[in-house]
Amino acid sequence: MPDDARTPPRRWRFRLTVDGWAVTAALVLALLVRLGIIHRVPW
Amino acid sequence: MAQGSLALPQVRTFRPGPQLLRLIPGVLLLAAIGWLGKLVEQSVAAYAKVHHLHLPNIEYVLWAIVFGMVVSNTIGIPAVFQPGVLTYEFWLKAGIVLLGCRFLVGDVLRLGGISLALVVLELAVAFSLMTLLGRWFGLKPKLTSLLAVGSAVCGVSAIIATKGAIDADDEDSSYAIAAILALGAIALFTFPVIGHYLHLGDRAYGLWAGLAVDNTAEATAAGAMYSDAAGKIAVLAKTTRNAMIGFVVLGYALYWAGKGQAQQVKGKASFLWHKFPKFVLGFLLISVLATVGVFNKQQIGNLANLSRWAFLLTFAGVGLRTNLRELRLQGLRPFAVGAIGEAVIAAVTLGMVLVASRVFHL
Repeated sequence: MPDDARTPPRRWRFRLTVDGWAVTAALVLALLVRLGIIHRVPW
Repeated sequence: MAQGSLALPQVRTFRPGPQLLRLIPGVLLLAAIGWLGKLVEQSVAAYAKVHHLHLPNIEYVLWAIVFGMVVSNTIGIPAVFQPGVLTYEFWLKAGIVLLGCRFLVGDVLRLGGISLALVVLELAVAFSLMTLLGRWFGLKPKLTSLLAVGSAVCGVSAIIATKGAIDADDEDSSYAIAAILALGAIALFTFPVIGHYLHLGDRAYGLWAGLAVDNTAEATAAGAMYSDAAGKIAVLAKTTRNAMIGFVVLGYALYWAGKGQAQQVKGKASFLWHKFPKFVLGFLLISVLATVGVFNKQQIGNLANLSRWAFLLTFAGVGLRTNLRELRLQGLRPFAVGAIGEAVIAAVTLGMVLVASRVFHL
């Protein structure tokens, strides 16, 4: 197979929509609260 | 006017890394304005208490929005702050997902069911009315479609989603977005006044704000200005409305494709999934986790407070994004159509909510 016919290695890229980021951030925060790492959030 | 100053595409992506650094100044500005709003609310309350005065309690929400508007409409937002200011949409959605912890699934099903029934009625009224008004005022048909979607479903996101699906002009979407944002700003200041005048309960008012205020950020703010409980219900009703976005955009896409003025829709199921606002699923997931007892009472309190902090940044962003001069430049006719339509929709939805309050004892 000629070199130029090979698929070039793709760099791993992490892309999410705003919705995806928002849900991910909220779930991570919920996990931190559940684990007690965030144990008090004042308001 | 640069559309970018108003439009916040739902499908926009960003990558972590260097881009995060660009966001920091604007996020700090959101935090500073939001925190200032909170500080002023507390200071006014403390002053009134010390001097035995009966001052109306003006929520931090209103202060944050007003301070944001003052900055935006006087000195403007320097370029270094703009990327971070646009993250207010991220904070809004993260805040809504976290707010899911305050709803048990039973509440979501009951209130969401009532909301859904009212949303369907609201959609029918809004589409019919905006289409008629658009014809009477001689607006371009696609601009009318965008205004109808913006007022019926969920403001800016819906307009942007529909614009792509029906091949509308940039100018039309810019007009529609400006009209919806201007009307959202007016609703922020009028809805709480009307609600208090009519002595609406928190649930009835929240439902009304969620049904009648178009943009999610403004609906959340209009609810939170009334009370914490009203804000919670406004978010649920608005989220129900948001969930309809895919069906509405699909309907318009099929309509315009049938007229040969938009591309054919290939794969309706994937189209619906693509347009569906995914943060609604996050909201439901957190609600399910709270319902099955994953979080204890203190943890739910912590999550609710995290949600409040996220909304604090959102409300500052709503103020910063509201540029009165840019909105004025958009012309009168789309605004007039939007204003008349919104006033009628607000009145009709208020009637629906009052009836629902009696029937379902909200």
